Amino acid sequence: MTVKNELRHAWIITVKEIRQLSRKKALMVPLFLFPIIMIIFFGYGMGGTVKNAPILIVNDDTGTDSASLIQEIGAYTSSYNGNPMFTVTYTRDMSQAEAESKIDAGIYKAVLLIPHDYSERLIKNDDVTLTLLTDASDPTTSGIIISFMQQLMSRPGPVSLDIPNIYGNLEYLDFLTPAVIALTIFMGSVATTGSAIAGEKEDGTIVRILMTPVSRRSVILGKTIYQLILQLARAVILILAAYFLVGFHMNGSWLLVALVLTIFTLGGVGMGIVMSTRVDDMESFFQLNLLFTLPSMFITGVFFPLSSIPDWMRYIAYCLPLTYANDAMRTIMIKGQGLSAISTDLIILTLFALITFSSGVHLFRREA
Amino acid sequence: MNPIIEVRDLRKIFHSRGRKIIAVDDVSFDIMEGEIFGMIGPNGAGKSTIFSMLTTLVKPTSGSIKVAGFDVYKQDGKIRPVIGIVPQKLSLYPDLTAKENLELMGMLYDVPKNLMEERIEYYLKLVGLSSHANRYTGGFSGGMKQRLSVICAVLHDPQIIFWDEPTTGLDPQTRQSIWKLAKKFNSEGKTLVFTTHYMEEANNFCDRVAIMNLGKLVALDAPQSLKEKAGSDNLEDVFISLTGAEVRD
Ligand SMILES: Nc1ncnc2c1ncn2[C@@H]1O[C@H](COP(=O)(O)OP(=O)(O)OP(=O)(O)O)[C@@H](O)[C@H]1O
Ligand SMILES: [Mg+2]
Repeated sequence: MTVKNELRHAWIITVKEIRQLSRKKALMVPLFLFPIIMIIFFGYGMGGTVKNAPILIVNDDTGTDSASLIQEIGAYTSSYNGNPMFTVTYTRDMSQAEAESKIDAGIYKAVLLIPHDYSERLIKNDDVTLTLLTDASDPTTSGIIISFMQQLMSRPGPVSLDIPNIYGNLEYLDFLTPAVIALTIFMGSVATTGSAIAGEKEDGTIVRILMTPVSRRSVILGKTIYQLILQLARAVILILAAYFLVGFHMNGSWLLVALVLTIFTLGGVGMGIVMSTRVDDMESFFQLNLLFTLPSMFITGVFFPLSSIPDWMRYIAYCLPLTYANDAMRTIMIKGQGLSAISTDLIILTLFALITFSSGVHLFRREA
Repeated sequence: MNPIIEVRDLRKIFHSRGRKIIAVDDVSFDIMEGEIFGMIGPNGAGKSTIFSMLTTLVKPTSGSIKVAGFDVYKQDGKIRPVIGIVPQKLSLYPDLTAKENLELMGMLYDVPKNLMEERIEYYLKLVGLSSHANRYTGGFSGGMKQRLSVICAVLHDPQIIFWDEPTTGLDPQTRQSIWKLAKKFNSEGKTLVFTTHYMEEANNFCDRVAIMNLGKLVALDAPQSLKEKAGSDNLEDVFISLTGAEVRD
């Protein structure tokens, strides 16, 4: 069996799958419409609380006024509801660019920059501006920090607060969209791969395919190519919908988005195959599917930032691949970061794909 | 005549939910080139399991099988192109048309496109399905599915056809036409192996009949000889006397 032959067989399977999909009109709704509806519904803002958000204060002023300001922030936070809202770190001599990079790296949620002439200007009653940088990829936390600081500065006087938007004008929707895409691709690839195989087992068609001279490798390859086409098409439609319907901003590289989604789809397909080998029909597949994919939906920080959920939940989230896909997608699409910023995510997602895929192939080949 | 299938000391044990099921228990027999070979036996006797092993779908627990001179363990890739299988469970893609189902099988068996189209047209006409070629098989009757299922199995012109319960649940007209088709394939030199629960079919159409019971082969001979040996004039009596009267589950 030559490689060319295997590829040709795989492509026959791919075409078959696409043809079948095109005839299942009822499937189009969950595949393409649900995620779009989700974005529109959730796009209308969500609240939340913040605790222990790391913030950095860069104080280049040596006067007494800045010292009392800092004390005020510190005192307020430590007395808030028993739980400090912020964990404050102090430093000096840091440029705005360097501060921004700290936020990009996820070390701080916000940085407050106090200019060197703060006290001096206050004494002279000159206008003085503080700069507050926030992590706009986490709008819930940022929103709370911003409103707190605005309250603090609202006393009459010459002090004003400047809040530059590092990533453009960001809203909850921008936070939501990248993760909804990851979620959609994950749930979709697991469910469509697994249910298709389970269905073919149920009606016996997979046996008919397997008794031809076509190798099982080709069958899996064909189904995988189909999934890549389907899931990437869904991602494109979702992004277009988010752009035209609710004005989503894309700041990063499309190529990286495609890379992350491709690797993640492979993982999802692998997981779907593994799960399908454990069941004999569609119904049991969907039960199993619910058990494995539903938790991902709620605790991996799709709808609210990971920083706002309890510790024990966060530890579970760190065991779920969707968490890393969400992070990678946000880092690319909102922060506009490159390959190095998502390297950890990519390594974990690649491992996930390798493990599920190879066990899927192994189990599938041993079956029937 | 030469044996085209050689089965020796074949066993298959399934482990299912902690239970051990001996589906096929130490079975040996030959199937000759060009014969019509029938397998009968009560439900659960192991007929389909033997089929699965002969057609390389399931690995035996022990024993050896040669099909067309090839070993099922080492040369299953050589066996598949020379056999055609009509499974007991009629498995067609309901959301593909009859023609698309056939084309899918033809392509997976590497039948050249022109030849494939020619054969599809020929066989559809032969079984009277030409006018349904572009209908989804989801709406087909059992008889239509059975006829289409056969064509799926013969597009690549196999030497041996395995046919698991070709006539179960079909009306007399369709059963007649199925057997006519079987006879036709046989007259073209193909070896036919099938299972049935209809004694008169085994009696009328088979060169030799194997009777299975509880995983074991309890008799194998021409229908006439089986009846003579048992001193009976119908195969059903022979069957009941060899496999017992109680109902299996
Ligand atoms: N995949 C499997 N796992 C577990 N047990 C199995 C499996 N396939 C078959 N069996 C068992 O093996 C035995 C033989 O089954 P088989 O299907 O070969 O019988 P059969 O003679 O074809 O019956 P029927 O006439 O009802 O088609 C049965 O007890 C069946 O339950
Ligand atoms: Mg059977």
